[in-house]
Amino acid sequence: GNDTDESEEVKFDFLIDGEFIRLPLDKHLEGKEISTETLVEIEYIEQQPAPTPEDSLLHDDWVSSVQGCNQCILSGSYDNTVRLWNIKGQPLLTIPGHSAPVKCVRWLSSDEDKTCQFISGSHDQTILIWQWNRESNSVECVHACRGHAGSVDCVAINTHKDKFCSGSWDRMLKLWSAEMSAPGDEVQEEEEEVPSKKQKISKKVQTRVPIVTLSGHNEGISQVQWTDTNEVCTASWDHTLRLWDLEKAEQKSTLQGTKVFLDVSHSRLNGNLLTASADRHVRLWDPRSSDGALVQCTYTSHNGWVSSVRWSPVNEYLFLSGSYDCVMKLWDTRSPKAPLYNMSGHEEKILVVDWSIPQLLLSGAADNHLKIFQYENR
Amino acid sequence: MDCTLTLKASSRSANETTRLMVVFRKIDIATELFSCNDYVSLKDGSTGSAKGVSGLKSRMCGENEPRGAYYTTSEYLTVVFHSNFFDNDDGFDLLITPFHSGACSSSETKCRYGQCIDRTNRCDGYDHCGDYSDESCSNLTRVGAGVIVGVIIVILAIVAVVIVAVCCIRKRGGLGGIIKMDFTKLKGKAKVDDPSSESESEESVYSGLEEEPDTTGDEESSNEETKNTVDDNEDDDEEDEEDDESEEESIDEDEDQRKDIQKLEEDETLNDEKDHDIVIENIKSMNVKSVPKKQEGITLSVPDEYDYDSSDEEDIRNTVGNIPLEWYRDYAHIGYDIEGRKLIKPKKSDELDEFLNKMDNPDYWRTVTDKLTGQKILLSEKDLNLIKNIQSHHLYDNQQETYEPWVDFFTHEKMIHPVTNRPEHKRSFIPSKWERLKVGQMVHALKMGWMKPTKKKTADEEDEEDKHKYYMLWKDDEEKSETKRYRSHIPAPKMALPGHEESYNPPPEYLPTKEEEQQWLDADPEDRKRNFLPQKYSSLRLVPAYKRFINERFERCLDLYLCPRQQRIKMNVNPEDLIPKLPKPRDLQPFPTVQAIIYKGHTDMIRSISVDPSGQWLASGSDDKKVKFWEISTGRCMKTIKVGSAVKCVAWNPNPDVSLVAVTIDQLVLLLNPGLGDKVLVNNTDNVLSSYESPDESSTSVKTSVEWEVYDDTKYEKGYRIGLPHPKEVTQVTWHGKGDYFASVMPKGESSAVLIHQLSKRKSQNPFSKSKGLVQCVLFHPVRPFLFVATQRYVRVYNLLKQELTKKLMTNCKWVSSMSVHSGGDNVIIGSYDSRLSWFDLDLSTKPYQTLRHHKKAIRSVCYHRRYPLFASASDDGTVIVCHGMVYNDLLQNPLIVPVKILRGHTNTKDLGVLDCVFHPTQPWVFSSGADCTIRLYT
Repeated sequence: GNDTDESEEVKFDFLIDGEFIRLPLDKHLEGKEISTETLVEIEYIEQQPAPTPEDSLLHDDWVSSVQGCNQCILSGSYDNTVRLWNIKGQPLLTIPGHSAPVKCVRWLSSDEDKTCQFISGSHDQTILIWQWNRESNSVECVHACRGHAGSVDCVAINTHKDKFCSGSWDRMLKLWSAEMSAPGDEVQEEEEEVPSKKQKISKKVQTRVPIVTLSGHNEGISQVQWTDTNEVCTASWDHTLRLWDLEKAEQKSTLQGTKVFLDVSHSRLNGNLLTASADRHVRLWDPRSSDGALVQCTYTSHNGWVSSVRWSPVNEYLFLSGSYDCVMKLWDTRSPKAPLYNMSGHEEKILVVDWSIPQLLLSGAADNHLKIFQYENR
Repeated sequence: MDCTLTLKASSRSANETTRLMVVFRKIDIATELFSCNDYVSLKDGSTGSAKGVSGLKSRMCGENEPRGAYYTTSEYLTVVFHSNFFDNDDGFDLLITPFHSGACSSSETKCRYGQCIDRTNRCDGYDHCGDYSDESCSNLTRVGAGVIVGVIIVILAIVAVVIVAVCCIRKRGGLGGIIKMDFTKLKGKAKVDDPSSESESEESVYSGLEEEPDTTGDEESSNEETKNTVDDNEDDDEEDEEDDESEEESIDEDEDQRKDIQKLEEDETLNDEKDHDIVIENIKSMNVKSVPKKQEGITLSVPDEYDYDSSDEEDIRNTVGNIPLEWYRDYAHIGYDIEGRKLIKPKKSDELDEFLNKMDNPDYWRTVTDKLTGQKILLSEKDLNLIKNIQSHHLYDNQQETYEPWVDFFTHEKMIHPVTNRPEHKRSFIPSKWERLKVGQMVHALKMGWMKPTKKKTADEEDEEDKHKYYMLWKDDEEKSETKRYRSHIPAPKMALPGHEESYNPPPEYLPTKEEEQQWLDADPEDRKRNFLPQKYSSLRLVPAYKRFINERFERCLDLYLCPRQQRIKMNVNPEDLIPKLPKPRDLQPFPTVQAIIYKGHTDMIRSISVDPSGQWLASGSDDKKVKFWEISTGRCMKTIKVGSAVKCVAWNPNPDVSLVAVTIDQLVLLLNPGLGDKVLVNNTDNVLSSYESPDESSTSVKTSVEWEVYDDTKYEKGYRIGLPHPKEVTQVTWHGKGDYFASVMPKGESSAVLIHQLSKRKSQNPFSKSKGLVQCVLFHPVRPFLFVATQRYVRVYNLLKQELTKKLMTNCKWVSSMSVHSGGDNVIIGSYDSRLSWFDLDLSTKPYQTLRHHKKAIRSVCYHRRYPLFASASDDGTVIVCHGMVYNDLLQNPLIVPVKILRGHTNTKDLGVLDCVFHPTQPWVFSSGADCTIRLYT
């Protein structure tokens, strides 16, 4: 439904019982089995604006991971490099370092300071902690976190930025220190790890070992998310979501699904989990509810595997999903039948989406492109 | 009881007889089934024995009155009502009108059929003619006539034109009933046996309107009379006496009736000058009680103020009305008389006069003063009585009897007279002959001991009987055999009804033509459609005797006699019931349903694929001479190894601790280390391989045809580790579950078609000394030391430890293409080029338990899932069919094999569709590789 203002056109969306009306009112009520005899409260909100395509950043290979932060965008690629871009789309750095495709990247600290830290996980089973000097635009590998016996598919950093978790194909969840200098680090000579020709990297890399290793999953871990200061949630190929208490170093609870989980996203605003599975659906979970039906809602619109899903950092209703059907979709949790907007442009499978910067919707795909969509948050 | 009423119409003129016309307005006389017990009959004559009125039944009863008018031939009509039936009904209602046929005068009107009736009958609301022809007038006149008729009825002055006799039967024991005669309209002369009193003038009789002024006088006089009967008892009695004298014949009748008749006579005498044409001739009955009906519209009980008649007295009635008399207290007069003169108050007598009067007058005590007139009134004896009654709280009218004796008509006592007079039938007096015979027989039987008196039931038997008393209400399935037989009666076959062609004079289309006739004659009697030839005769008379009559009767008898009297039980089989009940695929989830990822990169047909045991990687070998390694979750090709020739088969080492892939190229079996996954694992594998030290040559007693070749340098960099050159082309390589042994197949290798290699010892051996056929593929048993060797038609199972043939599976197909064994090891599926998939249970039989023929073209590959009860088959028709194959631990339960999904996606190229299929080790996903250079993942 649209409404026009005299001075400026403002579009509204209408909701009944917390659900968007996407059909004619009678059909909506019929579908929801709401009696037409009763009084129906219709809520209206201002319509979310459409994202506008901003830029497309070309990589040398598939873009496997991306995260934006402040003025910079970090992307990991299958050409074993990590790339840094500013939000204007200009390449800042291309960082070789991994010996296998990079699977995940995360900003560790991205203050306005001169130096920023970020971490990257790769198929080569290592997690590298990098320090980037903004002024000199030089990057330095500070730590190499070793311990995983499989490709590191995901990393997640806690709110205090002093610890991070990593999940791997080897079914292990490992907790690492994110401090720049932590006790127990040992200096190790890096020899074979550096096939660098482009940039000189310090050969002295400190190897870091995990604080805690948690096992429990029967298959590889595909995504890990901090849900609390001492709690992480992992999504795995063994059809389960597990919540771990890191302080006690034990598993808290298990949410059983029916399909392989490819991604999970936790919202700080509403505390719910969104999962992307090896099917067409995005599912909304409430880990706090105790009843059997843990799946609160299913969002179906994609035509392929949903590879990635991200909550909005500022709006508790909005989230983003990317799929192997090459379409990124912007959803509102109150509209389970249809997404708000479809963002197409990719020609290959979307591998990752990111919404770390509220104004930017990022998507990396197998067509070597990283697409940036501008979005005005309300 | 008979009630006979004879009516006579007065003649109008000598030459023309006046006849009577009867219209039935209503008849309602109870009937008893078909006979009329009570009836009314109309006789055309002056006696009850005369013949009936023409057109009517002799006895009429029931409720259906005859329509129309019926006419007498003479002026007499006798109505006979017979009643002996004990019932009460409404009786009958006749409308009898005199008429004459001939020219109608001006005072007459004409019915439709020419009968002349009096004009007054026209439009009076009564259908005199029986066809409403006298009632055909406009509404207005009808209303007017109705009013007039109403007036006539009310004032009772009209001379009787219409006699309506209503006879009702009252229930009154067996003594007959009361006939209530309605005399309201009957103003005739009721003279018994006096037909002579007839009148002449009819005009005045029929003209009700003209009579109206006179009727008022009549009414007055009649009123007067009725009043007299009430008030002046003495006078009345006197009159009665006079009447008694004059009427001798009615003496023995009862008092009421006498009065009535007397009253009728009075009326008659009052209206003497008018002539009556109808005479009640005879009322014959023992107990006839005629009650005159009260005249409608006239109130007799209220005395009129003005009809106070005392002619000899001065009329001193006061006319002031009902006002307080003290208004006249101060006046000399007390009111006004009827002429308007003042009534002067009588002189008030003084005390002395009063006293004297009291002394002298013996009636002083009963003298009161009328306040209205001031006159003294002497109270009569009657008044005194009344006052006395009132004072003593009795009924004011002592005449009325308060306690009449109660007549109990329907007594509880048994009366000596029967209710009906009908005598009992003779039957009821005579003992029954048949009963006697029956009793005689029974007595005889008892005597002879043939019949035994029924035993008295014991307590147990009674209990049993009680038990049987309750039965299932709805149990009608188990019918008793005798009733069943009775009900399943098969009627004898019926003969066909004769048709037109059997006619002696059939329509021409039924007549056979010459050819048909000849054809009929030529045909065998058995083959003839009918056993006769239709023939045409001009008349039935000419039809000859049927020659075959006896013959056909006999055949018919045979038909009846030999007809199969057995009921054919028709099997009601629903075709859908014959289909085995399979669960819905939806209930058998999970299984792959949709295509999820396409792995693109090869440029030629992909003959073989294999998944690494952890499920992260996929290896594929293609005709483009490359082996590619894919990341399953993303579809990313992680590594490509160029091998010099087309790859026939790739097989990932099932041991998760070893990172090796066996590849067959031409005559070579290559072991590649893809270098993917855990680095430690990759390195370990390399280390193990490189640390191998060949044992002494002497120890290898058996010389094998295969030399193990170890690669280094550039080929090592590419991933090559070990090569096993074979003498002939190798088509297949397969690993043992432990990952140490692997077998290679050279179909053209004859006696050394199958070689088994041991990785740890780098040894190859030939298990079979001679060839049993063209070996298609081999397979290790997952848990036991068995080797499946598939030749074209058979699959032989060898025990490798005992080195003997354990089983030989008959595949029932022409050319085995592939086989797969379940991880449990008990079930084997075999795909064949003749598009069959055979499912074997090794414990059960060497023959296939089930053969599935879902594919349209040759099956290229079959595979079992390691965890889920799924198997898939890939075919040249471009489809992969996934089946659910569940084997239960319970041996009695049959295995459940249900095809659940056809997976499409591959396009056929060069007549080849899907070449290989393989399941994901942990997920219910299936990969398929096709000739269209793609690998597809279905999830």
